[in-house]
Amino acid sequence: MCGIAGMVASSNVARKLFSSIAALEYRGYDSCGMAVQMNGHIDVRKNIGTVEKVNQNERLTDMKGLAGIAHTRWATHGGVTRENAHPHMDTQGRVAVVHNGIISNYRELRDRLRAAGAVFLSETDSEVIAHLIGEYLDRLGGDVEAAFVSALREMEGAFSLAVISTKAPGYIYCAKRESPLIIGLGDDANYIGSDFNAFIEFTRQAVIMDDGEYAIVSRQGYVVKELLSQDVVNKEVTEIEWDVEMSRRGGYPHYMLKEIYDQPATIQATLKIPREGLESLARMIHESRQCFLGGVGTTYYIAAMGQYFFSKFAGSYLSAISTDEFPLLAKPGPEDCLIAISQSGETYDTLTAVRHAKAGGGRTGAIVNVMGSSLIRAVDVPILQGSGPEICVISTKAAMSQAAVLLLTAFELGKITGRIGEAEVLRYRDEVSSLSVVLSDTLNERSGFLHTAASKHQNMKNWLYLGRGVYYPAALECALKMKEVTYLHAEGMSAGFLKHGTISLIDENMNTIVLMPPPEEEELHTLTRSSAEEVRARGGFVLGFRFEGDEGVEGLFSEEIVLPRVSSVLAPFVHLVAGQLLAYFLAVQLKRDVDRPRSLAKSVTVA
Amino acid sequence: MRALVLAAGRGTGLYPFTDTRPKAMLPVAGEKLLDSALEKLRAAGVTDVVMVVGHCADKIINYFSGGAEHGMSIQYVRQNDPTDIRDAIRCARDHFQSGEGFLLVYADVLTSGNIYRHVIQTFGSFNQPVAAICHTPQAQNFGTVYLDADMRINRLVEKPSEKEVGNYVLAGVFVMPYKLFDLLEDHEMDESLNEIISSTGLRSAIWEEPWLDAQRPWDLLKGNQMVMRTWTEARVSGTVQLRGAVQFRGPVWIESEVVIESGASIFGPCFIGKGSFLGNGVLVRPNTSVGAGCTIGFGVELKNCILLDKVRVGRLSYIGDSVVGEGAYIGSGTLTVNHNLDRTEISLPLKDGMVKSGSDKLGAFIGDGAHVGASNTLAAGAVVAPGQVVPHRYTYPGEGV
Repeated sequence: MCGIAGMVASSNVARKLFSSIAALEYRGYDSCGMAVQMNGHIDVRKNIGTVEKVNQNERLTDMKGLAGIAHTRWATHGGVTRENAHPHMDTQGRVAVVHNGIISNYRELRDRLRAAGAVFLSETDSEVIAHLIGEYLDRLGGDVEAAFVSALREMEGAFSLAVISTKAPGYIYCAKRESPLIIGLGDDANYIGSDFNAFIEFTRQAVIMDDGEYAIVSRQGYVVKELLSQDVVNKEVTEIEWDVEMSRRGGYPHYMLKEIYDQPATIQATLKIPREGLESLARMIHESRQCFLGGVGTTYYIAAMGQYFFSKFAGSYLSAISTDEFPLLAKPGPEDCLIAISQSGETYDTLTAVRHAKAGGGRTGAIVNVMGSSLIRAVDVPILQGSGPEICVISTKAAMSQAAVLLLTAFELGKITGRIGEAEVLRYRDEVSSLSVVLSDTLNERSGFLHTAASKHQNMKNWLYLGRGVYYPAALECALKMKEVTYLHAEGMSAGFLKHGTISLIDENMNTIVLMPPPEEEELHTLTRSSAEEVRARGGFVLGFRFEGDEGVEGLFSEEIVLPRVSSVLAPFVHLVAGQLLAYFLAVQLKRDVDRPRSLAKSVTVA
Repeated sequence: MRALVLAAGRGTGLYPFTDTRPKAMLPVAGEKLLDSALEKLRAAGVTDVVMVVGHCADKIINYFSGGAEHGMSIQYVRQNDPTDIRDAIRCARDHFQSGEGFLLVYADVLTSGNIYRHVIQTFGSFNQPVAAICHTPQAQNFGTVYLDADMRINRLVEKPSEKEVGNYVLAGVFVMPYKLFDLLEDHEMDESLNEIISSTGLRSAIWEEPWLDAQRPWDLLKGNQMVMRTWTEARVSGTVQLRGAVQFRGPVWIESEVVIESGASIFGPCFIGKGSFLGNGVLVRPNTSVGAGCTIGFGVELKNCILLDKVRVGRLSYIGDSVVGEGAYIGSGTLTVNHNLDRTEISLPLKDGMVKSGSDKLGAFIGDGAHVGASNTLAAGAVVAPGQVVPHRYTYPGEGV
């Protein structure tokens, strides 16, 4: 997802245009740029980093002009580099373009344009648009609308885009095909944007474009036409009743809930990670004497889940380690490797751990969500998880995806160690694919029960999460979610560990949640059941997270949340979602600042 | 935006209080459900209302008339056979213009916080039909929905099976296109909504504040608590007369011309309606709502209960976890027992037979105009029909009259 903004006005647009992309930053934040037109010349400034950081380096707000377009990017393919940031220009500097979406036939177009002399500076599909319009400008004698339309007719894919040209000062040409685009109508300025956030500060009058339409916007007015017929379309002007924050959250009351609901799609995105990348990671693990899985906070717990995946599918023991302790504990040599996990790729402790591993000559890998981040650049084998921007400070979908990456990598390692064959890898990958449906069912059909449990127990101040096997780190992660967002005391523990001390805490002031494995994991199931019994025998309240069709737990729990029946491969993922929802609903009831809990930051970049 | 407010429903499940009034005229925390809905609509900028009335229609029309007192304009549509939402909406068709989108409101839904504003904002943000949704432990009584990742509703289940009661439910507030009227000509309500889902799409507005659609008489007590929990300060009218030492604690809301005799203790959150009288030594405990014009005798204890207007309670009575209808008379020394000794779940004899309340603590439900004679002890979950007379209970010389 990327954000587009543009405006034409009677006074300098730079400051307003900058605040437009700042308002769109939630759509993506790895790089941004602006193009502004003045006196027959287009000035383009762009770079990587947050909108604020790019402004500091490039002085976007000092630009001068009466018409401009701007862009904030969330890279999906093509690295995060200054060259790949938008806007893009044609070779002669007559056309600047910003673009959101995909031009699916860009390779053919690029090859043709290159052959005709166009010089490409970036790896993006977007740059093709500028050169294509440039080519038609030459052919059609400088008629910008004709060139724009001809270029559009040649492009395939789903996108929205906006263009300014030195050949048509004071005009923006824009088009919409399956990606959003809206026109805003002001008193002495008109605007365009990917959504209302781009110009809500300036006007509430808007025209919503439909697929297959293009528009020409000037300071005085606008015209919308159909691309195929070039007939003028009469559009209704909408008065926007607009809650800025609500729209950014896609209507969800909080980013956290939005991101929890993103997870079925996140799993699909994770499966699109090329297998070669996962194989390289698996090979690196296989070739090393000792492999560490490093993370801190949630990512440490995800690493701990990973240990169980590698053990189960590849018969390999990797040691999960919290990266803040890594340099104090591990002395990795040239035959060792560290796989670091971080949503932002800027986590100080994790970057330090990677440096420590490299200093000893060790190899490194990483699982990261933000493209172009320091961690991606620092390691030998980076895996980009592709979960999309995660805004809530508390990680949900990114963590879910990281766990899935480790699982998929464990399949690859299993294949290398000979534990499983290619057919099984494919079968397991199919199973992971079915997780989307299971998660979607869990969200739709079970959230009410978790909501009811949260309402009922909102006065409870202490929560203990128990699990065995892979459900142990899952319990740790569920407890961390609870702590982070509700500010209540919660701790996770391996169920077997309980009786070696902590069980003395069990009384009416402590609720216990037991993450029950599916009955097919017989041994784990029996062991976990007896832990639940131990708690109940001491008068403790037990809320069981258990799977449908598990008859062995009848009467075991004080209350239970029944989750959809799944195989043991997927079961811990479903528990994670249940833990997220319970923490979320409880936080909402307790009126916590869900998306920005006190004292927490999205990316901890300090020691 | 104009609103279509559906207030025709009979609310049969709320017996013994809905034989004599529409469900939407039931009071919670001192305010009728419909009063609360209209106030919130106006706060959300909706001042033009078409209201469908049916069961006991005149009670609504006489109370609100043209709506001027509420700062709005109300037009009424009478629904002759008020059993069906589909029919109720169709009745109002002529009051809307072709192409006009409208806010559709089930008048008897109670929320703390303004759900209408939330729905209108969602519509403004996405320019698509909207349905408010929420979670409730009673999901089996409502239509439930399935959502996609963009918070659009992709399926609606009118009567959820056991598998579908963990879903979000329809919260009774929508922004609907005029097309709904056309669809309802040939389709049921759920089919019409599914049709909207597959054509223009239906955006959900997730409501996370408290929400209640009272289905049973004890739900009124839940609503009372739900609203009163949000009260943070006391509000006592300047015209209240305190005749001696009266103790107030917590958010006590007392309306004009209330008279309280000395020795009374009033513990909030609670509500005492206009012109009521509280005798010496009355104890009002939290979550009590006393309607207008009530007379509460010496030494009466009230706790977690709703008294509608003009109720008289004789001296030394206890009313707890109970609802008492308008104009009812409770004789001296009446006790509402609110639990069984073995703490079993309490069931109530309602129109559809014995109904489980899901609670082990519940008092009596006494219909409008009923007379309960002195010295009666009402069993947990007792129901007294409207106008029913329960004789005095004498221990000497025998049977009461």
